[in-house]
Amino acid sequence: MDRRHFLRSLAATGAAAGATATAGCAGVIGDTGLLGDDGTVLGPPEQTRGDPVHPIHGDEMPEFSVPDPISGEEISTAQFEGERAFLWTSFYTSCPDGVCPALILRLRRAQEVAAEQGFGDEAAFLPLTFDPERDTAEVLREYAARRGVDLDAGNWHFLRPESYEAGKELMMENFGLKIEKYPDENDQYENLEYTFPHYGLILLVNKRGIVERAYPRGPATDVERIVGDFRRVVTA
Amino acid sequence: MRRRHLLAGLASVGVLGGAGAVATGGVPNALGGEEAPEPIEPVTLDTVDAPGSRDGEVTIPAPDRPTFVDFFGTWCPPCAEQMPALAAAHDRIGDEVLFVSVTTEPVGGAVSEETIVDWWTKHGGDWLVAADVTAVLAARLNVGKYPSARAIDASGRVRWATSGTHTAEEFVEGIRRAIDR
Repeated sequence: MDRRHFLRSLAATGAAAGATATAGCAGVIGDTGLLGDDGTVLGPPEQTRGDPVHPIHGDEMPEFSVPDPISGEEISTAQFEGERAFLWTSFYTSCPDGVCPALILRLRRAQEVAAEQGFGDEAAFLPLTFDPERDTAEVLREYAARRGVDLDAGNWHFLRPESYEAGKELMMENFGLKIEKYPDENDQYENLEYTFPHYGLILLVNKRGIVERAYPRGPATDVERIVGDFRRVVTA
Repeated sequence: MRRRHLLAGLASVGVLGGAGAVATGGVPNALGGEEAPEPIEPVTLDTVDAPGSRDGEVTIPAPDRPTFVDFFGTWCPPCAEQMPALAAAHDRIGDEVLFVSVTTEPVGGAVSEETIVDWWTKHGGDWLVAADVTAVLAARLNVGKYPSARAIDASGRVRWATSGTHTAEEFVEGIRRAIDR
């Protein structure tokens, strides 16, 4: 924890002190000093992105802890600092319109490339379900298996909030994303009582806990772009 | 249908108001536009021994002719729904292209080949079906939602990119865009 606060204050240090702060940090983490003054590997995104509530570039990843129901561990977004860069997204397994499979495909492909290129131990993948009532450990395990996710790699953690309300609050507080149950009144989807229209956000967070990229339309973003950005950040 | 489109719109518009490019039933996404796309680097996948298919390999896109790829999953109900339309499109235009369905499921791992064959048989598949177990082709062709389809011309350039279900007529039209190049 101290470390995180230390890093935070470094990250918050202004441009004048930036060089020193970066050097100090490089010493702490043992990275190669390729980071910019704002603690990122990648430069700012080309597109301006308005002023959303969630972090975009150079901001800290919000810190929160959520259980991984498969491993039984409590996973904190801060625990990877100094060790792993990660991709975070939110989804639910019953997602009927294909947005969630597209999000998961992007994380899964990044996991595959990390394994192939030997940086799996410096990477983590954190998809958070906001439908804990239906997404039990068993459902998540089956979902992962059918989509080619490697749970044995030790770098993939489904995050399952204790309750729907807890997940909803987490999403609003940390990302300004409103999650709402949308009753399937017209029986549009077979066997689905409710759906969650949601924003297909993927975040790329570096080893210092700083957000490098926020892909707002994750399902439509080039898979290879996300994977390439992730590789650059992990291996920087 | 109206509801479905509304939901898809919400999902893609979201809090910040993004473009509607990923809406279900969508028209070409990022790949649209006038500029000539870059050729896709070919990928060789294992094929599945199923009706209309055989145990072996396939290179996608084909080096010498247009290719049509349908991305599906056995977990995906709309993928099953559109199989009759794909079958009709295959009957009409399947001889003019490499016509192949591809699943990104871990076939031979957590998902058995038998699962694929059963699904394929049940839904009337009668053409080549392949397994992209590392999702490398899906990444190169930037698959978003399922189902997704791509029609690629003989030089390896994507000429039609879509997701969501389609009629046979729409598939044939899309595939023609790759043939007519």
